[in-house]
Amino acid sequence: MNRSFFEALQKIYPDNRLLTRDVELLPYESDALTAFQTKPGAVALPVSEDEIIDTVRLCHRMKVPFVARGSGTSLSGGSLPIADGLMIGLNRLNHIKKIDPEQRIAVVEPGVVNLHITEAVRQYGLYYAPDPSSQSVCTIGGNIAFNSGGAHCLKYGMTSNHVLGMKVVLADGTVTQFGSESIEGVGIGPDLVGLFVGSEGLFGIALEITLRLMPAPQLYRTVMAAYDNLGRAGDTVSMVVASGLLPGAMEIMDRLAIKAAEASVGAGYPLDAEALLIVELEGEALQVEAEFAELRGVIEESGAFEIHEANSEDERARIWKGRKGAFSAVGRLSPDYIVQDGVVPRSRLGEALVKIGEFKAKYQLDVANVFHAGDGNLHPLILYNGREPGALEKAEALAGEILAMCVDLGGSITGEHGIGMEKREYLPTMFSPVELEIMQDLRRAIDPEEIANRGKMFPGGEAPALQMHGMHPLERQGVISRE
Amino acid sequence: MTGGMLNSVAELQAFVNDHERTHVVGRRSKTALHQVDPDTMLADMSGMRGITEYQPQEYTLTVRAGTRVSEIQAELRKEGQYLPFDPLLPNHASIGGTVACNLSGSRRHRYGGIRDFILGAQVVDGLGRAFRVGGKVVKNAAGFDLSKFLVGSMGKYAIMTDLTFKVFPDAPDYQGLRLQYETLDDALNAVFHCNRSAHELDVLDFAPCDRGWSLLAGLAGFQDTLPQRAKQFVATMRAESALLDATEAEDNASLRDPLGGLTDDFLAKVVISPRQIPSFDARVHEMQRRYSAGGNIAWLATHDIDALKKILEAEHLPGMVLRGAIDRPLIGKNIESPLAARVKRVLDPHNKLL
Ligand SMILES: Cc1cc2nc3c(=O)[nH]c(=O)nc-3n(C[C@H](O)[C@H](O)[C@H](O)COP(=O)(O)OP(=O)(O)OC[C@H]3O[C@@H](n4cnc5c(N)ncnc54)[C@H](O)[C@@H]3O)c2cc1C
Repeated sequence: MNRSFFEALQKIYPDNRLLTRDVELLPYESDALTAFQTKPGAVALPVSEDEIIDTVRLCHRMKVPFVARGSGTSLSGGSLPIADGLMIGLNRLNHIKKIDPEQRIAVVEPGVVNLHITEAVRQYGLYYAPDPSSQSVCTIGGNIAFNSGGAHCLKYGMTSNHVLGMKVVLADGTVTQFGSESIEGVGIGPDLVGLFVGSEGLFGIALEITLRLMPAPQLYRTVMAAYDNLGRAGDTVSMVVASGLLPGAMEIMDRLAIKAAEASVGAGYPLDAEALLIVELEGEALQVEAEFAELRGVIEESGAFEIHEANSEDERARIWKGRKGAFSAVGRLSPDYIVQDGVVPRSRLGEALVKIGEFKAKYQLDVANVFHAGDGNLHPLILYNGREPGALEKAEALAGEILAMCVDLGGSITGEHGIGMEKREYLPTMFSPVELEIMQDLRRAIDPEEIANRGKMFPGGEAPALQMHGMHPLERQGVISRE
Repeated sequence: MTGGMLNSVAELQAFVNDHERTHVVGRRSKTALHQVDPDTMLADMSGMRGITEYQPQEYTLTVRAGTRVSEIQAELRKEGQYLPFDPLLPNHASIGGTVACNLSGSRRHRYGGIRDFILGAQVVDGLGRAFRVGGKVVKNAAGFDLSKFLVGSMGKYAIMTDLTFKVFPDAPDYQGLRLQYETLDDALNAVFHCNRSAHELDVLDFAPCDRGWSLLAGLAGFQDTLPQRAKQFVATMRAESALLDATEAEDNASLRDPLGGLTDDFLAKVVISPRQIPSFDARVHEMQRRYSAGGNIAWLATHDIDALKKILEAEHLPGMVLRGAIDRPLIGKNIESPLAARVKRVLDPHNKLL
């Protein structure tokens, strides 16, 4: 790392918040896409907005690349450091600055953990809606970068739909604010909040975020239905949609995922099922009860061989525990695995699953399927043994075929994990050369030196060699699990 | 001021390339937005109309920008679906204009505004390039989300030629309610009370009336649960002073039209938050007005637009004039932003789009 840059950093940070020793840098070498590892030049741990701004301005002036990092749970390599660049760790900016339950808003610093917001506002009968499985660890800053979602996105949207305003420092050091405390957000003029959310850390750093809160539903009604083939579970999703109901969540798991989840948490899943569908309604009690009667009718007609309704909050929690823990549970069956994240139009889910079955046979690898069926978001989990020569390459090739299929079926190469390092080479399969050029021009208009998260999202650039895939250390400890 | 009726993307590209200055118009329902100088060419989008793709089972709809909103609504209604952001002026406005000006009606209270339902768009920028932004499926995290950026962009960065939305099933029935409060403070407190309750309201507006303030609420759902839900709602509304008026179906539509009584020359949208209303309202108490979406949008009509401009400046609130002759439709708090300026540099470096 350039000496004069480092000396300038020392003027901003005391020694204990400027990490440079190998042992200190180790935890920052990768995110949850453990395949990629790089050592940053240094890690700065700001405790204030001003320190972040000074740091970004310094990086811009001295052309030193930086990566902002929340909790490092990105599954696409988004928070991978840049060799010899600066990592800016935001975990210490973890204050909820304001809660206004009557206006249903909260103002937070970027390092606030997603679930902490819900915990802080629960007493007012409110919650923060986007619920990635990593919500007990991941930060709002990271959620903003990837427009993160969760199982309950169909009805109330992803992160972007819950951000009303923000203050940011752009990569060239410009500090700017947009949006408001109004539920309209920006409301007049181009929706800059919408543009910044999902920009994968390439535009700059979010410093302060105004979030919309939602009233906690009066009632949840959850039903689980078992099928003897995946297609039938998929068809049921279409039937639910055709009935005019709007569930908060619709999730499907296949046989391998069911077995693993059951072994791991004992959710009460039927072990002889080829597919399990979970549908959840939420809202005002009277309305939900009426909708649930209708849903019951649809499910009873759907050819399910077993139907189970959650009759208590405990039962509901158990069903979700199995679902949310499914991937980690499958992961435990195999030394290594890749989580894929792709989207297909909901009505083509059946076709997609047949294709994934064919890829499985072709590559002779196991694939478990767990997905947000309501919005066509697939999360196939590809199992392999990294110690077998060529196994990783085979798994990567299979993952690539799945992504190509998503694009062919009119979907997307990512529903919520972002492009990051992992999918850079696939971006051109979704966007034309003109579209890519415009995105790159936009990036350069905001960050002429391309210092913010250099090497991410766009194809090309140097990629460190792939090494392994596996669980995030926190998953291994059972702290978080993935969807 | 001259212009041309455009019928295709290629025609629009040629139009932008051939002219120094282009101003896009949809169906001209918002007169205040089209006061441009005589050298500017009008690109009339009303020829680009029709639904190009509608998949009810996907909750997605793609439509050409010049399509009249009411036509889209009629098509959706056949499948029991709707645009939850509740486009304003459906009988007059084009969908492109609705998005460009970001105009949502009162039902946006339930699920969100236009930004929450736009998935993607096909556009032509100031360099005459045609390209897509966003996606066509309900969930997509690839690339920068320029489709949201276009919401409210007023045709100044790129011209939308078609748009893809997420749509939702509509509830089979709707119940409008009117509650009466003596003062603005009482009405606001009622709104705050609603915000802290689990009632899921489709509409939550309030406006001054002869006897004080009316709170206009709406519930959507199944017919057999609505009366009971309405009763529960009113019971929790500290409604001793309130008068319940469960309106009939025909009334429901007019009750939830936020622009209903706003007849004065100039009509404006103001982005506000409920806590800003008391001080703002004290200054505009002589103007026709309605606060929509739980007090997050103010609609005002006045003959004295200069007075409104000054008030908005003093209160640091951004406004947009929709009706009435005015040079610059954006009034009040300056919303210019360095981030928007960068996008302009990329999409329209020669400042062709006005
Ligand atoms: C077990 C597991 C389960 C998961 N489940 C889900 C899921 O259900 N849904 C889902 O969407 N994702 C999921 N993820 C992915 C991940 O948790 C999300 O992408 C999350 O938003 C990342 O947050 P983070 O704080 O860890 O960010 P990091 O990984 O630290 O950073 C992610 C990106 O955000 C940028 N960034 C961080 N802070 C800021 C800021 N303040 N301003 C600008 N950019 C910033 C970084 O530069 C980086 O590009 C899961 C991950 C794991 C490991």
